[in-house]
Amino acid sequence: MRPVAIVGAGMIPFGRRDDDNLMDMLAYASLNALDDAGLGDKGVNAVYVANMGAGMLNHQMSVASALVDRLSLQPAAAESIENGPASGGSAIKNGLLAVASGYYDLVLVVGGEKMRDVSGWRATDFVASMTHPTAEYIYGITLPGMAGMFTRLYMQKYGVTREHLVQVAIKNQEMGALNPYAHVESRITHEGIVDSWHSRVNNPPVADPLRLYDVCPVSDGAAAVILAPLDLAKQFKKTPIVIAGFGQATDTHSLQEREDPTDLKAVTLAAQQAFEMAKMKPSDIHVAELHDAFTILEIAESEHVGFFKKGEGAKALEQGKTKFGGQIPINVSGGLKARGHPVGATGVAQVVDIVWQLRHELPKDRQVQNAVNGLTVNFGGFGNNVLSFVLRRGEK
Amino acid sequence: MPIDLELESVLRPPEVPMVPYPPKVVTLANGKQMVVREITREDVPRVLEAVRPITTYERDYYDIVASRVYAELLGWYRWRIVNEFVLIAQIDGMLVGLVNSRMLNAKTGMSLHTLTTDRGLRIGSHMFAAKMEHHIEYLKQEEVLIVAESPIGFRRWMIEYGLEPTNIPHELGGALSFRLSKELYFATKDRLVVGDRPVPKELLDKAMEDIIVVDEKTVAQKICGVKGR
Amino acid sequence: MKKKIEIVAFKCKKCGKLHFPFHDRCLACKSREFDQVAPQGNAKLITFSQIFNLPWGFDNRFLFVGVAEFENGVKAMGQIAANAPEELKLGMTLKPTWDVVRVISGENVYGLKFEPM
Repeated sequence: MRPVAIVGAGMIPFGRRDDDNLMDMLAYASLNALDDAGLGDKGVNAVYVANMGAGMLNHQMSVASALVDRLSLQPAAAESIENGPASGGSAIKNGLLAVASGYYDLVLVVGGEKMRDVSGWRATDFVASMTHPTAEYIYGITLPGMAGMFTRLYMQKYGVTREHLVQVAIKNQEMGALNPYAHVESRITHEGIVDSWHSRVNNPPVADPLRLYDVCPVSDGAAAVILAPLDLAKQFKKTPIVIAGFGQATDTHSLQEREDPTDLKAVTLAAQQAFEMAKMKPSDIHVAELHDAFTILEIAESEHVGFFKKGEGAKALEQGKTKFGGQIPINVSGGLKARGHPVGATGVAQVVDIVWQLRHELPKDRQVQNAVNGLTVNFGGFGNNVLSFVLRRGEK
Repeated sequence: MPIDLELESVLRPPEVPMVPYPPKVVTLANGKQMVVREITREDVPRVLEAVRPITTYERDYYDIVASRVYAELLGWYRWRIVNEFVLIAQIDGMLVGLVNSRMLNAKTGMSLHTLTTDRGLRIGSHMFAAKMEHHIEYLKQEEVLIVAESPIGFRRWMIEYGLEPTNIPHELGGALSFRLSKELYFATKDRLVVGDRPVPKELLDKAMEDIIVVDEKTVAQKICGVKGR
Repeated sequence: MKKKIEIVAFKCKKCGKLHFPFHDRCLACKSREFDQVAPQGNAKLITFSQIFNLPWGFDNRFLFVGVAEFENGVKAMGQIAANAPEELKLGMTLKPTWDVVRVISGENVYGLKFEPM
């Protein structure tokens, strides 16, 4: 296995992109990454496309072949990778292994999702189709519903309160407002979503105890990275960012079959593997992008990856340890909560945001000073397939 | 344009007097204060400036809604619609949404449209609620007939309020109306209708001073989403 | 007419671990032989959520969905008959019934519906 670096990264603004179809978005993000790597008119050996729902949402299959054609990358090898909301992480992992093995030198990984082609309730149904077809889906369970059930247990066991969830939402939307790639541009205030009696309309329950502002938006978007062996990375113009470690683990399909349903075992294992491979520990990380599809998940994941002990994530949040400028800034991009969650794009977008952080190329109000090591967690299903990456700033 | 006053008096539908809607202020999720108030006929040309560009946006049936709103407001301005009222929402004077509706007769209201130019802050929900509040609480009507032109509208109004289906064709294209009865309104009011009165003087003065129309590019982005690579 | 509860759990013949839904191999010992076990008695509420913004196919404003554990240890998801979260408490006893939980492609789909006792 040879070390692999990210030599190009690109994204397009997330949100509702009425003028673009899925292929447009994948192409734009790919071109941004190719240009960022200085590969403008050159080819790559292989293309991995992360996408969860083109078949259901956009009535299109074989998107990787279609993308190669859009970008005139023939005869590059190409495949689409579907692994639910963890598709992005999976595609990066597969690209990474292909380069690490020595088989390919240059790989384009792009993740994208066009979710706003369908109505909100179709999109909800599409995401719910990940649940167990006969033991869960038939009951009308949704992913927010799963998260609501999880939140109720987490609150009971660890004393997490609504106020903690509100703090995650305010923090991430505050940062998202600074991010030109974020779907949600608006800051929210405590008064507007909690204190004022008007908040009963502004912030209604979505999946009790979760409310509207606890849940990420449904977005369109795409993000891409270019992978190359570290020893070739010096040929590229930007500071290489090394994929120092990765991990992936799975857990039971149904929440009720987990011995302790508040224990996100796959998150713990994926992060442990990533840290072990990188020869790092949680305290070595300077900035993290955690999969906050629901506010509770940022708190729970911050504990499961080892930043804080179980049950102490909420306290750390209260103390400001996870905010920009804190001990371990989490979701400086705004996270899924504000950047948005085009499911196939998310795992790649998290890595792109960390690449920008580690290259020190973000504006001052979002750049974590001297960040060298970063972590991502990409959470599929309701924690039944999780990927984690540890990234390290390389030498120019 | 010379007006044949005699003929005009025939063409102008007779109106029943309508009590005014008392303005209210709503605190939005972003902490901004949104003033909801009724406008007069004289305000219509300015509001039409905001509606005009939206008539071309296909997204979520905005084109149909805006075209119809344009015609309804013009109809009201030129005395061709009877018993219409228009409520607008303003943040720092900026127009962010409007609703219009009319009294079919003393008992029944005919809900026309809800149009917002800022999304993601539940402005549409607040404004629809204000419209129902006016029909039931101030105009003292027994029921309001409602249809939705977009799936979003259907989901918001029919499901959130639990409206009753009827066999009564609605004025908007003849689709069968859903009914919000007075009883249903009061049963859902606690959950769906908010706002403080009176509006503090400086806030109301600011709103009354001018109806500021957002530039077309910003509105297009709010409604049709982001562009750019 | 009251309908019989049709779900069935799977008890590993080798190590005794109880599974629901079905797995081809035991989660614990990987054995492939199971005894079918019907859920017994009432159920204890483990967790729940009142879900709004329901997926395509539901016209109601909200649904209560939760996970409960039967007296013989079978755990399963089901809909819960309730109108407000305050009516439910974790650990409370629920009476299981078998009823229409969803209509898919025009066909009634039956599943667990729990009633608070």
